Amino acid sequence: MAQIVMSGNHAQSYAAMLARVQVIAAYPITPQTTIVEKLAEFVADGRLPAHYLQVESEHSALQSVVSASALGARTYTATSSQGLLLMHELLHWAAGLRVPVVMGVVNRAVAPPWSIGADYSDTIAQRDTGWIQFYAESNQEVLDTVLQCYRIAEDPAVRLPAMVTEDAFYLSHTVEPVDVPSSELVDAFLPAREARAVLVPGVPARLGSFTGPVEYVGFRHDVARAMDRVLPTLAAVEEDFARRTGRDHGGPLPTYRTEDADAVLVTMGTATTTARAVVDRLREEGHRVGLAKLRLFRPFPVEALRSLAASVDRIGVLDRSFTFGPTGAAAAEVRSALYAGSARPLVADFVAGIGGRDITPDLIARMYAVLDGPEPPDVTWMDLAAPEARADG
Amino acid sequence: MIEIRFHGRGGQGAVVASELLAQAAFLDGKHPQSFPFFGVERRGAPVTAFCRLDDRAVRLRTSITRPDIVVVLEPGLLRAGGVMDGLPPGGLLLVNSRDDPARLPAPPEVRRASVDATAIAVAHGLGTPMLPIVNTAVLGALAAASGAVRLDALERAIDRFVPARPAQNRAAARDGFGAVRLAPAEVAVRAPPVRAGRTLRAGLELPDGPLAVVSSATIATSAWRTMRPEIDLGRCTRCNFCWKFCPDDAIELNAEGYPVVRLEHCKGCGICAVECPPGTIAMVAEG
Repeated sequence: MAQIVMSGNHAQSYAAMLARVQVIAAYPITPQTTIVEKLAEFVADGRLPAHYLQVESEHSALQSVVSASALGARTYTATSSQGLLLMHELLHWAAGLRVPVVMGVVNRAVAPPWSIGADYSDTIAQRDTGWIQFYAESNQEVLDTVLQCYRIAEDPAVRLPAMVTEDAFYLSHTVEPVDVPSSELVDAFLPAREARAVLVPGVPARLGSFTGPVEYVGFRHDVARAMDRVLPTLAAVEEDFARRTGRDHGGPLPTYRTEDADAVLVTMGTATTTARAVVDRLREEGHRVGLAKLRLFRPFPVEALRSLAASVDRIGVLDRSFTFGPTGAAAAEVRSALYAGSARPLVADFVAGIGGRDITPDLIARMYAVLDGPEPPDVTWMDLAAPEARADG
Repeated sequence: MIEIRFHGRGGQGAVVASELLAQAAFLDGKHPQSFPFFGVERRGAPVTAFCRLDDRAVRLRTSITRPDIVVVLEPGLLRAGGVMDGLPPGGLLLVNSRDDPARLPAPPEVRRASVDATAIAVAHGLGTPMLPIVNTAVLGALAAASGAVRLDALERAIDRFVPARPAQNRAAARDGFGAVRLAPAEVAVRAPPVRAGRTLRAGLELPDGPLAVVSSATIATSAWRTMRPEIDLGRCTRCNFCWKFCPDDAIELNAEGYPVVRLEHCKGCGICAVECPPGTIAMVAEG
């Protein structure tokens, strides 16, 4: 186990190398990231004996790894924002064909107007495609989750594609120390894929042929049941990972100081780190607050949320995107999960940090204040006002 | 925890400076976190990078608004506004400048330091004389002026993580360490007023129309400019090529048909100078 100071992007690259991926396909132009640049370096200098396909679009990148995965290979690709949107059609294909592709995504705002800032609009727009979705909080979590995703995605009970996302700049370009496990440790945790090849070279066959309504319903239901099996699989995989590395990322919905909390903020990604420090500060001031991190968005951790809701009066949800419904997507999912449960605390949505806007400790403290106020609105856009006037010294 | 904010232009190495500092501090046993912010990936565009050094894992993932130290890689950025935001009394301002640090504008009770990193970089052949890469010289100066990192850790980090010319970069860091000048604490110079309108003020000040009509007056691409066009009107043939080729409509034609550069929209790309048939446009370095 070596500690290396590296970016979130390179944490993705190192994880893919440690997973001994066999096929990587990537479109190398904007909005591509240094994730695949580093992988190209690993392949070029012989550290990673993989096929590296430089293709002409994100659509083709995903098509290539879907096909390679159907042939039994362990595959990886990465993209961001508009590139992920261009993949949309193939995202459905990957899930429907049940290929365990793992993909890294740098969460960025979508155009127009052009932006390269952190925002979940790109991946939230893919929540309905049948992909497992993890949102990472630190570079360590990026690396560890990519490794865990291969185990989960390739598990015969699951066989679904998975994406591991990281916030633009706040992880993608942030360097910090990361424990890089030895290849021996990773090989023991993640052996070579047991190739359940659907396609075999030399044996003519095709995938994705026409179906009637009866078969189609069956296939879709199969995907839904596979999604249901992700949570127990994650629990087993994470336990094994923790036993080998000593690191446990807390399952689908890790919580912080929620035991006697009246108000809990549900966060995703890097805002969680800052929010944890805010919770400590507010606790010192006597406020009974806590937080829960939506580490997994698909499948949605319904049961974990319901047990959290049993002891909490108010839940705030931080949405780093807006989907033009009654609330943002995360708040809508939280409400939907709780509506059929036995406890229905108030759920208020906070739209913050979109387009790369900074989520500061003060901003988070204001969310807790609104949540604690007389009548928290359904949706509060937190940072509409202009930035504070600059001091001119 | 020490919070350090770097200001530079795309291509000058501010992002790498912040990352190198993080690597060096890690070798020193610290827990670092470094990340940049840039609106556009363009040479000349202002770039900010943030570096936190702590004894334990950093618990903030947000930009630095109350820096202990501000490092400025080019003195021209002092005019751009925002550079000294949040720098408290007792904080340190380090500027790549030939100037005496006592003449640097700064908020009250801020310690001021300067180093001629450009001369050091040019002497060691780092970058080009037009766009020298000053980051390692500045980091050497930072080590001397602040003690935030030790010089030998910085040199080890350069050896391990600077792929091009590590020996010259190490020498530049050592020269920066030796050449930094600190101003006497008691002299205070008021900072000049900041230039407004560098940032898109979201929400309240957006135009009613589609966002695509937001012009370079709102997002000040003129702040990217390191060279400006100067037209010798005596030799101008009024062919209007500069007006046609300017990608930002920064050139207007006056009543007599002569071109007039509106510098508030000019990002200094130099296309007009290349396209001008009689060659009457010269690109001149910004002061």
